[in-house]
Formats: sequence, structure tokens, C-alpha cells
Amino acid sequence: MNPPLRRALGHWRAPVCVLAAAAALLFYVPFLVVVATSWTGGEFVLFPPQGFSLRWYASVLGDPEWAQAFRTSLWTSAVATAVAVVIGTLGALALSRLRSRTGRRLLRTLFIVPIAIPPVAYGAGLYLVNIGSEPLYGTFVLFVLGEAVLGAPYVFVLVANRLEQTDPTLHPAAATLGASWPMILWRVDLPLVLPSVLRGTLFAFVVIFDEVVLSVFLVPVGGRTLPLQMLGASQEAFSPQLTAASTLVSVVAVAALALFGLAARIRKDPP
Amino acid sequence: MTDQLTLRRSAARPAPRARPRPAPSAERVVLLAAPLLFLALMLAAPLAELLGRSLADGGAALRTALGSAVFLDAVWRTLWLALVATLVTVGLGTVYALAVAVGPAWVRAFLVAGLLVSLWTSVMVRTFGWMLLELPTGALYWLLHNLGLADAPLQVFQTTAAMYPAMVAVMLPFAVLAVLGPVTAIDRDLLAAAAVSGAGPLLTFRTVVLPSLRGAMISGGVLVFVMSLGFYVTPLLLGGPSNLTVSGLINAQLRTANRIDVGAAMSVLLIAGTVGAYLIADRLFRVSERWGGR
Repeated sequence: MNPPLRRALGHWRAPVCVLAAAAALLFYVPFLVVVATSWTGGEFVLFPPQGFSLRWYASVLGDPEWAQAFRTSLWTSAVATAVAVVIGTLGALALSRLRSRTGRRLLRTLFIVPIAIPPVAYGAGLYLVNIGSEPLYGTFVLFVLGEAVLGAPYVFVLVANRLEQTDPTLHPAAATLGASWPMILWRVDLPLVLPSVLRGTLFAFVVIFDEVVLSVFLVPVGGRTLPLQMLGASQEAFSPQLTAASTLVSVVAVAALALFGLAARIRKDPP
Repeated sequence: MTDQLTLRRSAARPAPRARPRPAPSAERVVLLAAPLLFLALMLAAPLAELLGRSLADGGAALRTALGSAVFLDAVWRTLWLALVATLVTVGLGTVYALAVAVGPAWVRAFLVAGLLVSLWTSVMVRTFGWMLLELPTGALYWLLHNLGLADAPLQVFQTTAAMYPAMVAVMLPFAVLAVLGPVTAIDRDLLAAAAVSGAGPLLTFRTVVLPSLRGAMISGGVLVFVMSLGFYVTPLLLGGPSNLTVSGLINAQLRTANRIDVGAAMSVLLIAGTVGAYLIADRLFRVSERWGGR
């Protein structure tokens, strides 16, 4: 709520709100269409849906192919997120300790540049590395590490922003009191950045779980992640099974995030 | 000239703070070396492979890529798509963020919930939604037909035009998030001063609101532009095989045409374009400082 800004916009306030609400429809409508088509009773994806039935949900949940894709996505995303969180957090901590302007600039650029690299080009490069390296080929190693590279910038940005806002005198104070650097890291920095690290974990996980391009190039033959399964299904036969699976994934994601938000709120202000 | 620039830059920033004392070397090794080594390796190895493939045989693959009309077509299509998506999302994103700040409670709730839905559902799911909307007899046709506005099935799906609304919808949250923080941080005293001096909404917008948001709009725009250049799923599914963007074309080279070298050359060019655009923007507008703390 921002009364001065509201007053400043004057009679432009109503058009601004109307335009924004129309833009919000760009978010709602496609999602609602996916949800609606998933409860069709018919054989095809049709809008409006024919009747109401949950048969396609039963079909997805009973399908071992979807279940396996979901499990693969879950564990690869979890491992990749863990790597991304360690790398991103260490990088942000290093940034807060660097004094050289150029060094800080280079470090920041290195950590943010993976966002600017197109996933297809990165995936193609990793694919070439993958086919050339005998022990790694046929495993998920490069896939998971590549996903970690794509997730790390988000952790880095969140943690680095938090560290920017911390009191710079804490470090000298702790050092004067005789704390060694691992002690300072453990007792001063980590408690300060922990909420940002958790948020970064969540964000990186969502980004990685959603990422399809590296799956296309790097998942070993026979393996399938959920996005890959969805992409394949959309190109072969666009069936209500796909929209039912999409709805399920979205509902799980939103529920998990709502729980996370609730937990964060409860921790912040205990009743 | 350089001195002047430095001076201006430091004047524009908050007062410099005491930096922490020099870090002991073990600390540096653990904190800095590990992530640096990981990132450098994971970025350098794929890039070296791509460069090696595209420069083999005296750059034959690179010449093939640059001489191919399909590739140049895709480059223009991609650039145009990214540019339009950027301009529209930055404009719309600013309006969205302003509305979140000034709207009545129910509008705010509607807007924030929409933002969350879009952020937390997968890009692919949202793209499926756009497919279902844009199919010849899809949801959009159903709506238009029932309103009496369309009597023949729509000819939008798998055209270039089909990609635009979906790209805007996918990229809009990034633009909104970039501007949302600065919108809530607009100096209230400045707004009050403008009001006291009798400035109307347009003048206030031009002299107070816009200058406070400009930096965020630019960095959000750069983010959207760079991400749009490399975007894969949405253009591929909505644009179809005859309207490929550069990403789609690389995918086709590697997976169906089996021209790994040409795909590698195109990848190198695409990386050079996006990273180049990012680095130039970073130099001009200090984008990464805005994203990654000072």
C-alpha cells in the first residue's frame, strides 16, 4: 500500500489497474485451460472439456512411465540443487570477502553469466563433452552438474544480496574476539544468510526441476526426466493424460510452496 | 575522463563502508577456489568442445552456418521476437508493478496470485496452455466463436505470431519482479514534494516515478532480452518446425539433421551474441550489480 504513489498517479490509477489485471489474465488463462482439459471424460484434449471425470488422473498415476520420470526428476533435481546451493553460497561468501574491485566484478560476472548462456548452446557443448568422456557417458553425472551450473546463479544472487545488507563490523568484531575464520563463517555468516540460502534452494530447485533442454541432450538412453516425458508426450500424442500430469505437477509445486511460505511466516512471528 | 566517471559513480552510490580486513589464504582457497574451479571447468569444457568443432577444417562449419539462409532467417526471427518480448514485458511489467503498489486490495491479491501461479508452474505447462488456446479449434476459437467474432478455425498455431503472446506471458514475471522492489521504494518525500508543487500525474510520473524505476526497468529488460534470445520450449512448441528460432535450429541440427559441427558453430554464434549482449549491457548499465549485490 502506497498512498503517496497512489495520489501521484491520480486519475491514471484506474487504467493502470485495468491494464495490469488484463496482463494477469496472461498468467491465469493458459493455466486454467490446461486444468480444465485435464478433467475431460473424452479421449481427446478438447476445450470446453466433455463432461467431468478423473480418469486421466488415474491413468497418469497408474502409469509406470510417468512415475519413473517423476522419480528421476526428483532425485536428479535434488542432487543438482544441493551442488548449486553449495557453489552459489560459497561464491557469495567469497564475494563478501573480496576487496579488489576488479576481482569482485569478475566474480559477479562469472556467477551471473550462466543465466545469459542459452541452454541449448550449453546443452550442445555439454553433449559433446559427454560423448567424448568414456567414464561419464551413459551416466547422469554431467546432466546433474550442468543443471547445478544453471541453478547456482539464483542462489548466488539471493545470498549475495543478503550479505550486502549485513553489518560490516561483525567480522572485525568477531576476529578481535579471537574467532578463527571457520568459526566466523559458522557462527556469524551462516546464521545470517540461512534464510536466503533456503530461499535460494527453493528457487534453484524449481528452476532445475523445470529445465528441459539439458534433459534433451544429456539424459542417458532409456532415462527420462519429467520435462522430457512431457515434451515427448506433447509432440507424439497430445492427450488429456499430459494435461492431467501438468495439473498434478503444478498443484504439488504450489502446495509445497504454500507450505514453505506458511512455515516461514510461522517462524517469523510466533503466535 | 575516467576519473570523472569514477567520481560520478561513487557520488551516486551510498557512502563506502569499511571493507572487511584481508582474508587469510586458507579462507580464500575454500571459499573462492572451489566454486571458481567448478564453474570455470563446467563452462570452459563445453565451450572448448563447441569451438573445436566449429573451427575444425578451417572453420568450414562456421562458414556453412553463416552462409545458410535458414540460419540468418532464424537469427532475425529470434532477434525480433526477443526485442518485442523485451519492450512489451518491460512496459507491461512496470504497469503491473505500479498496480500492485496502488491498486485496491482485491486487485493486488489478484495480481500477486497471478504472479505466483506463473512463477511456480512450469514453463512447459504454461506453454501447453498457450497451445491449447491457439489450436485451430482451441479455447481461443471457442471464446471468439461464442462471441460471434470468428466462424472459421484460427490460423495462428505454428506461426511466428503464435510465439509472441506466450513469450510475453513467460517473460513478464521477470520484468515485474525487477520493478516491484523499486516501486515500493520510490521516495515518498519526492512524491509529496511533487504534489505540493502542483505537479500533475504525468509530470510526476516523468520526473519522479520513471527516474526511480529506470535502472530496474533496464536491468529487467536486459534479463528478459538475453533469456528470450536463447529460449527453447515456447518458440519450439508454438512456432512449429517452419518458424524456428536459433535455439530450435541448433536442436534440429544436432538431433535430426545430424550436423553436429554446424550445430556447434551456431551454438558458438548464439553464445557470443547473448553473452556479448549481456556483457555490453553490464558495462553500460551495471546490470549484475543490481542483480548480485554491490
